[in-house]
Amino acid sequence: MNLPLLSLVIFLPLATAALLWLLPERLTRPAVALGMLLTLLLASLALFSFAPVGGRFQMIERASWIAGLNVQYLIGVDGLSVLFLPATALLFLGSLVAGWQVVANGRRLHYSLLLLLQSTTLGIFCALDTVLFFVFWEVTLVPLYFLLGRWGATADSGRVAARYFLIMLAGGIPLLLAFVALAASQPAPTFDLMALLAAPPPAATQTLVFLLCLLGFGVKVPLVPLHTWLPQFSLAAPGSLTALLVGLKLGAFGLIRFAVPLAPQAALDMHWLLAGLGTLALLYGAVGMLAQSNLRVGLAYASICHVGLAVLGLSAFTAQAVQGAVSLLLSFSVASGGAFLLLEFLRQRTGSSDIHALGGVAKTMPLLATGFMICGLAGVGMPGTSSFPGEFLLIVAALHSHAGAGLAALFALSIAAAGFLSLYRRAFFGPPTRPAVAQAEDLRPREWAVLIVLILVIVLIGIYPGPWIEVLRPAAEAWTAGLAG
Amino acid sequence: MTGALSEISWTQQSGLPLLLLLQLLPLFGAGLVYACGERRLAVTVGKLVALAEFLLCIVVVSRINPLLPAMQLAERQAVIAYHVAVDGISLVFLLLAALLTFLMTLYGMSRGRMAAGRLFAVLLVAEAGLAGMLLTLNLAWFAAFSALELWAVVYLLRRWASSRAETQALARFLQYQAFGWALFVAGCVVLGWGHAEAHGGRWSFDLFDLQGALPAGKFQTAAFYLLFYGLAVRTPLFPLHGWLPNMAQHGLIAVAPALMVGVKVGIYGMLRFVLPLTPDAAEYWQPYVVGFAMAGVFFTAALAFQQTNLRRLLAFAVVSHTSLLVIGVFSLHESGIQGAVLLAANFGLAATGMWFIVGFVFRRTGTTELHELSGLFERIPFLAIAFLGFGLAIVGMPGTPGFDAAHFVLEAAIDKFGALPTVAAALGNVAAAGFLLWAFQRAFLSPGREGGAGVERTLPMEYVVCGIALAAMLAIGFFTEPWLHLTETASQAIVARFVR
Repeated sequence: MNLPLLSLVIFLPLATAALLWLLPERLTRPAVALGMLLTLLLASLALFSFAPVGGRFQMIERASWIAGLNVQYLIGVDGLSVLFLPATALLFLGSLVAGWQVVANGRRLHYSLLLLLQSTTLGIFCALDTVLFFVFWEVTLVPLYFLLGRWGATADSGRVAARYFLIMLAGGIPLLLAFVALAASQPAPTFDLMALLAAPPPAATQTLVFLLCLLGFGVKVPLVPLHTWLPQFSLAAPGSLTALLVGLKLGAFGLIRFAVPLAPQAALDMHWLLAGLGTLALLYGAVGMLAQSNLRVGLAYASICHVGLAVLGLSAFTAQAVQGAVSLLLSFSVASGGAFLLLEFLRQRTGSSDIHALGGVAKTMPLLATGFMICGLAGVGMPGTSSFPGEFLLIVAALHSHAGAGLAALFALSIAAAGFLSLYRRAFFGPPTRPAVAQAEDLRPREWAVLIVLILVIVLIGIYPGPWIEVLRPAAEAWTAGLAG
Repeated sequence: MTGALSEISWTQQSGLPLLLLLQLLPLFGAGLVYACGERRLAVTVGKLVALAEFLLCIVVVSRINPLLPAMQLAERQAVIAYHVAVDGISLVFLLLAALLTFLMTLYGMSRGRMAAGRLFAVLLVAEAGLAGMLLTLNLAWFAAFSALELWAVVYLLRRWASSRAETQALARFLQYQAFGWALFVAGCVVLGWGHAEAHGGRWSFDLFDLQGALPAGKFQTAAFYLLFYGLAVRTPLFPLHGWLPNMAQHGLIAVAPALMVGVKVGIYGMLRFVLPLTPDAAEYWQPYVVGFAMAGVFFTAALAFQQTNLRRLLAFAVVSHTSLLVIGVFSLHESGIQGAVLLAANFGLAATGMWFIVGFVFRRTGTTELHELSGLFERIPFLAIAFLGFGLAIVGMPGTPGFDAAHFVLEAAIDKFGALPTVAAALGNVAAAGFLLWAFQRAFLSPGREGGAGVERTLPMEYVVCGIALAAMLAIGFFTEPWLHLTETASQAIVARFVR
């Protein structure tokens, strides 16, 4: 195909953002919606034109960017990343709808930033040059800072935004060092991922690179004990933003794409570290969830828990584990993204997502309650939802490679399920005692249209996971083969 | 000997003595503007001259071949020891100086309440001083032009000083700068004397002559320290930065600090004169210089966190990031120097942009005290975003020249000093991000108090000034290649003598 499809996917949101400033202000939201729909369409097109059994990386576009440093504009997708494109586009569309009424002033700026965030996020999934990846990675911080600081949900959101920005900036340093060290280890310095994969660096460099990457991506994942920003963030951010940030597992993607394959020997040697960090996050997230009274913070802990499972499973370094990890991450973007969006709808109606201010939501808002139940069950890996295949593969892989940790994972997942159901019971069932809950209206057509799409995705993939897992399989096998050397 | 200097005469590369024009044009313009007095015409002429100087710089860039290791477009006049030439490094600084002066003329006009004619004349004199310093290859001429530029800044500070605090700031500025200048001149004398000793009493301050007769042992150390500290005051480098915060807070807002720290002539002087003329001493004292610079990054960052005034805060930010430049220069490593040059341009552009915005804010609110500012984002969103954009450039956000440049400096630092000091230096960037974001939040994002609605919206001239600076920044950030091309060979030439 001659059309630079991936570049179009990446830069269409950016072009839409530029267009906003030329259109009259009242057309802002329709234009954004149109741009995001088109992006979703193009991303789906990229998925369908991707041939799972073809070469490892496809739709490659290459252009020299900074020749002096040998940095290239190099993008492409493989089976592990191609599914993230439509998932991202879908989630952004959902986020747009969730924030439809919320943004009162500075609409153009708000949506331009949202679109910039979308562009850079899509760029992260497509970049095959480590510097290009890093550029996209860091530039996401700018729109996030503004969206959180300027349109935050609480009074101290400015402070939270600055804290998030600084933590992520500090997390970027080890990444940059790792990429520079990798480039320097080659005979001719290069940042080309494919070239780096073909020629793994010497053992000492590998250890350094792996640890630096683990630190850098660990902040974003987040792995315990680098997670402290997340609960605070999920409270202060507007729900539509939390959905994006928690839903999109950029950190875990970074681990799968860069940390492990670029330092294969070090990763194999330090499997215990990955498994240990994964188990820690898993248990911590599950137990932390039990202690929450706020649904949003509860979901944030659930997300820590699930990413922990993905990291634990990944440490088995088998194709099934990678398939499981990626499909769990994808499913979780849809499920937890959906759940956060529903909480945003709930907060817009009742002014809170704390269980003490809720109760009886199911009586007055049955659609919302049902939707939240389905997303939540997908979040805890109920069979028949999209999370189940991934979770199952991961647990099997974990039991094989680290039996103790696998048992701990099973235990933690049951705690997480209990935690979710207990939160759900207290917030949604019982008599609606609060006036805000009693008078609230159920989902509007626009809102349940988004919900239906998400639920369809969850259920369809849950019942018939075959094709999705198959898209992942060749890439996952190539991934494992790369580790074996 | 590797790294011996060579040059190509202007007659081979161009039909006109372009470098002479570069120095005379602003002087001539200054005279013209001064002659116009306070008429409207003065403003127009001033802007045109500044623009012409910038265009002339671009012509010069197009004439040289940055891949040749020689100094180019050289002009000599033996009688007055006039000797100028350029390479890729001086061109980066020259372009920056011309661009900043042009932006300052635009900015100065939008202030509208001071004697624009006089201001522009002095501004152009300062530009002539800067151009002279960046072009000359003679230490004595460098010192003379430096005095000319300092005079211009002192004039600006004095003419518009009204309160006691301002007079005090001026006095502090004079003490520091006069002392630094005297040190530098003393360093020149040591070197010139060394030349006289070696060549039967013939004194010379010319870079080419001096390089043939480097002083040995203690004399070189003495020359190194005199020149280095002379320039360190100017740069300013921690702990010799005492003049800057006061001047920034009380001096003529934006223009004075931008003239002094927008173009890092101190860093340029180190690259052009200190490293080539005292290589052994520079290499010997390298760890100490770098150690001080590291301490400076954090110490001044900590001080920046303590400030309650936006202008003072920016002053400390400048000192903090200047320390990073010195780490780059004294890595004595090709990519470190290349990175430092780009980083200097990036910081100059970004810091000046921030001064401009502080000036715009001051015009609206009459204060730069952080606790009296709030909610400006609602009223002047473009300026707010531009402020953050410049701040992010200082932090080295990808997409700004700061990223590639910092990347180079860190690469050199890993190579020379190992991973730990490098991580420390990189954390300095995070500290800078910390106080810049903190300031941004307090001034622009915090909920507005009563009276916030009275703040005037962004003016067209403000869009133009900040827009040009921001656009230049992003353009260099995403298309770094030409700039690397421009500075690569020149950086290699400087480090050639240090590579054993």
